[in-house]
Amino acid sequence: MSEEKPYRRLESQDLLQQIAFRHGLEAMAASEEGRLAWVTSGFPVEIPVAMDVFPTYPEQAGAIVGASKIGPEVCGFAEDLGYSQELCSYARASIGSTDRPDDTAMGARPTPQALLACNNICGTVLKWYDAISEMTNAPVFLLDTPPLEREQLPHHRAYVRRGVDRLVEFLADTFNTKLENEKATKVADLSSQAIRLWTKVLKACANKPSPLNCADRFLTMAPVVSSRGMEHCVEFYEALLAEVEERVKGGVGAIRDEQTRLLWDNIPPWFTLRFFNQLAARGVGFPADTYTHAWSGAVEGSDIASILDGVVDVYSNVYLNKGLEAKVDKMCELIKDYDLDGFVMFSVRSCKRYSLGQLVSKEMVTERTGVPGVVIEGDMVDSRLFNEAQVQTRVDALLEMFV
Amino acid sequence: MSYPILIEQSNQILRELVDAGQPVLGYIYPHIPHEIVMAHGLTPSLVRTNPTTVGAYEDSLQTFSCSLTRNLFSQRVNGSFPLLAGIVFSSNTCDALQNVADVWRLRFPEDNVIRLTYPVGDSGNPAVQYLALEIKAFSDALESLTGVAFQKDAFIEAASIVGGIRRGLQLLYSARLVNPSLIPYDTLSELVGEFMTAPTKTVLTRIEKKWAEVLDGLKKEKQDGVVEKTRTALLSQDMGGINLTSDSAVRIAFIGGMVEPTTIADLINNVPGMKSNTVVLDVLTFGFRTVFTPPVETEGDPFEGAARSILGAPSEPTQEGLSKRVKLLKDVLTHLSIGGLVVCEQSFCDPDEFEAPSTERAAAEVGVPIVRLPIDPELSDRARLEGRLQTFLETLDAS
Ligand code: SF4
Ligand code: SF4
Repeated sequence: MSEEKPYRRLESQDLLQQIAFRHGLEAMAASEEGRLAWVTSGFPVEIPVAMDVFPTYPEQAGAIVGASKIGPEVCGFAEDLGYSQELCSYARASIGSTDRPDDTAMGARPTPQALLACNNICGTVLKWYDAISEMTNAPVFLLDTPPLEREQLPHHRAYVRRGVDRLVEFLADTFNTKLENEKATKVADLSSQAIRLWTKVLKACANKPSPLNCADRFLTMAPVVSSRGMEHCVEFYEALLAEVEERVKGGVGAIRDEQTRLLWDNIPPWFTLRFFNQLAARGVGFPADTYTHAWSGAVEGSDIASILDGVVDVYSNVYLNKGLEAKVDKMCELIKDYDLDGFVMFSVRSCKRYSLGQLVSKEMVTERTGVPGVVIEGDMVDSRLFNEAQVQTRVDALLEMFV
Repeated sequence: MSYPILIEQSNQILRELVDAGQPVLGYIYPHIPHEIVMAHGLTPSLVRTNPTTVGAYEDSLQTFSCSLTRNLFSQRVNGSFPLLAGIVFSSNTCDALQNVADVWRLRFPEDNVIRLTYPVGDSGNPAVQYLALEIKAFSDALESLTGVAFQKDAFIEAASIVGGIRRGLQLLYSARLVNPSLIPYDTLSELVGEFMTAPTKTVLTRIEKKWAEVLDGLKKEKQDGVVEKTRTALLSQDMGGINLTSDSAVRIAFIGGMVEPTTIADLINNVPGMKSNTVVLDVLTFGFRTVFTPPVETEGDPFEGAARSILGAPSEPTQEGLSKRVKLLKDVLTHLSIGGLVVCEQSFCDPDEFEAPSTERAAAEVGVPIVRLPIDPELSDRARLEGRLQTFLETLDAS
């Protein structure tokens, strides 16, 4: 039966599931031992890992809530507490599942002892973690990385560096731990290895047909976000890269009959990943997306001081922390490097930072690359905000341009 | 004064300034370093939403951009935006403004858009040092814009004018809390509005005159001492030594990150049951935070002085410090004898909407009933908002 599907299942997915399961158990144990921290997706996770604080990443839990199609219900728990339906649905899913873990079949996270937020992805993370802090009493640590307009100036660097130093102090005080040279360099090294492997995986998608589709990358990015610096993360990406290279060698694509290659912009609608499969059936694949390319900076360093400097560099300079033009540049670069025919921008109603401005960037990208694009509106977790028929009509209109 | 009249008056003042050759710099986020702007010969003026604006943002912004940014953008598209030498967008405050500034720049390349980046972190000295250098860069941008370098004399004069205005308004805010019959909320909000339109000597004189009148009344009632103490308490965000008692009338306060006092004054105008002394305070609003900002130190580095002043103000929902804001709110409610709280939320405003449940819990913990009001600049749901306020007042009266 599975042979008839228009897309191919990744074998590494089994390993991913094992890793996710193991990560879940370890997070539970860490919570019981009083050394669990929640981290945002852009947080320099290398530091807590090197200090023996176990990180877990609630945006992934939000994705699981979405994929399990219980988004409206779990987000609704947060709305019952007074949080507006207009707010980030990852945040709502997280607040809802923290309030009612027993009613959240999947996606509830073990109780944290600290909440580590870095605002290089958005300003919402602070508000979200503040809300969780009120519910769990876990303190919030904010690593403030003000957005960059141009190159990073010395006072910006100094401010973020001071923030990183404060983070080390915060973790030492909260968890009675220390940052030691040997562990720090080992973690930085493992983290860089994982990032390099992940980058190779992403680059391999420039091949025709692309060995991975959008949903594959969204699922397999979880370890590089939350477990950079851990051995199993490197092992996973070695296995994934091997499978990807095998596919490339054999000319095997993620979808069976790749005819049209598109760029995906933004987080996907987790509750309807079949959206990608339906398009796969029509020969449409997504060899690149803007989101999974955000994790590409490797923290290098031979001692604590240089590692912390590296952290400042990498985490201040993620392109999400720059303006709209940086995002447009990124999209144009991906369209060129991956030889894409067009692009789909998912306008996520509850994620302002990632979505506001898409109407303008769409025009700019088309102007600069000459390829057409479409903006569709919805949400990543909350299916109430997704109008399937409307989305379909828009995507159809885009696809008609390629026949 | 109703909000539409305020807008008209504010535009009139701006027109007069521009006609007199005085360049105006518009700002959106309350913590603008007024004194630095004035040191470059510019007048800082709050860019206001306009309730009569018809939506014209749709080609550039999605509907989930906050109602404030949608309104401003529409004004710009419609050509009803005031004539400004430049417009300051804050950076690192909220996600909406961050992106809308980029969109604005791209859509209106002829506008002089200047970014001023604020620290979100509540980290003391590192945040001051960072902001000081951002303000220095901002000052350099103003110099390029106007051709006028930073002038120390103008800075000192500006510090004196803005400091005087703030002091006067702080006293009037406190006087209203102590004896609301001496200064109507309308008048207070109007003066705050004038300050934000243009912090000029004329405005300072008007505020000083009003304060002199109010002070007379306070002296007759022997309440001037307690007003001064209340002001100090609000400014230092330490309400410990204050305990205002109320007569039997219900006293309510408004709260909301992005609501202007004038909007509140306009909204409460026609609500049945709303008496002239019912609303005694707006707290942690746009106006409150701007007014209760400590004075700028003019000795030493002016940029550092401005940074310390801004970071010494009551914090924003966009910044760290939720627990401090919650504590301040609880203290205000209990020490100032507030019997009901109205929580205003701009629609699609993440910071307001994230903070409202915490505000609600804080009020519940000190036994103060609340009502949440989702508002937009057009007050498009006005009848319903008034109805909710009326019902709220009736509940308070009955309890
Ligand atoms: S607002 Fe957007 S970027 Fe921020 S946490 Fe939510 S989904 Fe992520
Ligand atoms: S704080 Fe709220 S109302 Fe103000 S610009 Fe940001 S989202 Fe809009």
